[in-house]
Amino acid sequence: MNSGKDHIIKSYDDELTRLTGEIVRMGELAVTQLESALDVLERRDERAAQHVVGNDEAIDQLEQEISHDVIRLLALRAPMAGDLRNVYAALRIAADIERIGDYAANVAKRSIPLSMVAPVAPVGGLGHLAKLAASEVRDVLAAYRDRDAERAHQVWKNDVVLDEAYTGYFRQLLTYMMEDPRNITPCTHLLFMAKNIERIGDHATNIAENVWFQVTGEPLDKQRSKRDLTSSPETSKLGE
Amino acid sequence: MTDSATAVAPAPAVAAPKLTVRDLNFYYNGFHALKGINMEIPEKQVTAIIGPSGCGKSTLLRIFNRIYSIYPKLEAKGEIILDGENILDSRYSMNRLRSKVGMVFQKPVPFPMTIFENVAYGIRHHEKLGKSEMEDRVEQALRSAALWDEVKDKLKQSALGLSGGQQQRLCIARGVALKPEVLLLDEPTSALDPIATGRIEQLVEELKSQFTIVIVTHNMQQAARVSDQTAFMYLGELIEFDQTEKIFTKPGKKQTEDYITGRFG
Amino acid sequence: MNSLYMRRRVTNAVAMGLSTLATLVGLLFLAWILWETLRQGLGALDLKLFTKITAYGEDGGLLNSMVGSLIINLIGIAIATPIGVLAGTWLAEYANRTKLGETIRFLNDILLSAPSIVLGLFVYTIIVLPSTALTHGSTTFSGLAGGVALALIALPVIVRTTDEMLRLVPSTLREAALSLGVPQWKLTLQILIRAARSGIITGVLLALARISGETAPLLFTAFGNNYMAVNPMDKMSSLPQIIFQYANDPGDEMHAMAWAGAFVVTMFVLLLSLLSRLILSRTKVSHD
Repeated sequence: MNSGKDHIIKSYDDELTRLTGEIVRMGELAVTQLESALDVLERRDERAAQHVVGNDEAIDQLEQEISHDVIRLLALRAPMAGDLRNVYAALRIAADIERIGDYAANVAKRSIPLSMVAPVAPVGGLGHLAKLAASEVRDVLAAYRDRDAERAHQVWKNDVVLDEAYTGYFRQLLTYMMEDPRNITPCTHLLFMAKNIERIGDHATNIAENVWFQVTGEPLDKQRSKRDLTSSPETSKLGE
Repeated sequence: MTDSATAVAPAPAVAAPKLTVRDLNFYYNGFHALKGINMEIPEKQVTAIIGPSGCGKSTLLRIFNRIYSIYPKLEAKGEIILDGENILDSRYSMNRLRSKVGMVFQKPVPFPMTIFENVAYGIRHHEKLGKSEMEDRVEQALRSAALWDEVKDKLKQSALGLSGGQQQRLCIARGVALKPEVLLLDEPTSALDPIATGRIEQLVEELKSQFTIVIVTHNMQQAARVSDQTAFMYLGELIEFDQTEKIFTKPGKKQTEDYITGRFG
Repeated sequence: MNSLYMRRRVTNAVAMGLSTLATLVGLLFLAWILWETLRQGLGALDLKLFTKITAYGEDGGLLNSMVGSLIINLIGIAIATPIGVLAGTWLAEYANRTKLGETIRFLNDILLSAPSIVLGLFVYTIIVLPSTALTHGSTTFSGLAGGVALALIALPVIVRTTDEMLRLVPSTLREAALSLGVPQWKLTLQILIRAARSGIITGVLLALARISGETAPLLFTAFGNNYMAVNPMDKMSSLPQIIFQYANDPGDEMHAMAWAGAFVVTMFVLLLSLLSRLILSRTKVSHD
């Protein structure tokens, strides 16, 4: 529940608005990073990849600022109820976005060694995963900006699609590696990158949980089933 | 997230209720000051009443010991049940009520007597005690108020020589000396500095093991620090009454949220 | 902007000047009176003033007048104080905001500003005349009648100050005592009176200072006596009355004695005022 009214002390409102804005900006940067990483992968452009890696610093910087602002708000404003949940959620979400940024940068980083070997077919599949992840992150950030708990819940539920895609891609890569030993190096890189992207999806669901809590004051009911079956016994049998 | 129903149910009482307010309406010179208050105050816990100026919180508190009755044109209708009896009934003796329900006011008001006499005065009116018994009672009361160590050597000095914080603790000692069951605190620290305030808050935590405490405060942070449940009042109505933790993290009513987040305009 | 400021400064200076002037004028006359009294009175100030009684001529003193004043004042205060304090207490505690209370306060104020000669005449009618008739002339004017007249003058003063002093006591003190279960009468006697104690005493002292200088009422009640009188049923001399008497005398030595008497009265009143200020400041009951 959020009040439409302003705080009696205007600067308090300004500080809260600023915090929200920082999160939104940080999120947009992270999404951009992810899309750039995908782009860099497809174009096999080493220099552009370095660029993406370097940009991650801006995201880390923002996380520092947000932490600082949160501490300041807690100490000086003693936020209560909805305001308290806002500030708390901002802290948690910033941490998740920072990890998303890191993973995006990792993908870009790995595209460099990948570009040094011959292209392999499954690269396209990675692009599909990345697009799914990017739309998840965009969606959840929109839910945060609009304080839309339902939309966040949808994101949370839909992550299962990314998980399943990842599981499928994992199997595909294993098959490729078993066919031809020369594929092992590039496919291993792709495996790691796929894992990173799957983790991005998990962090997006964390953000969704925090948005839900911020708006409703209740924790999200975690009945979601985990559909990443790569660690399940069946998958290991693929190699036999 | 929708607002809950307009009728306020009493808070889930974790302890048996000590004071039950039923359909209380209060009129001040014809003006309807308190409207249909229903609440249950649990035993041996701290209940805080918060709300903006003029919401009726002090008025409500003062009905619990019927101190309003000394002023003309004030009228209370409804019931307040204490230990199975309605204290608003004209047959309920004031004397008895005030030995069961004590009050501490906003401004420390020691009597113009010695420190010892201040505490003994009320006791003397209700009980006949021998000299050493009285001394023990006074010491006990002063210890309860965390004042004994500071005044034990100057019991015969005038109470007016104490500092503000000490005077207020003396008033608390005076109140607990009668061994009441309920202690009413009307903004007890608003005239004190932060350190004296902290001492009184610590005292409240210690006292709740012995007394049911109802505290009115305009300082929300104090209510958050000190109470187990909190009641929010506005314009003579009880808007919300629940566990303190819930009120300050996830209040049920928008008005409550607006007030505690400083959005009240 | 500047002209506005200048104008204010000028207005301020003018107002300050005028009020200082007014104060000086008032102080001037006060000082003049004191000076004259001192000058004239000191001239006749002599030990025999305090040892001899009235006599026209060289060998006169003020002893009987001083003793008479003392007795009459004491009677006056003794009558007025208990009635005044109780009435003031009643007004403050039991009739504070009622119509009856307001009416009584109003009547008290009228009595306060009643001309003292009227009060003297009143006492003459109700005490002197009947006592003359009842005792077939053996008791006519008396120190007692004088005391009663002074009591009527002191009474409203004491009522007023007691009432005001009690109303100054914060209501939370009353509520605090009532919250302990203490009944109203006990709280009034044991706590409120004690809290307002210094104020009430000051009121009594000021009433005493006031009546010490009253002359007119004593003329028809105590009348005067050239001999020493200690029985209140006798006619009695008093300082204000003797001043009047001597001032009307053609002789100069009598005038000097009158001045001496004036000096003594003035000093007495001054002392009482200082004493009451001392008491009020010393035992200031502060609830801050």
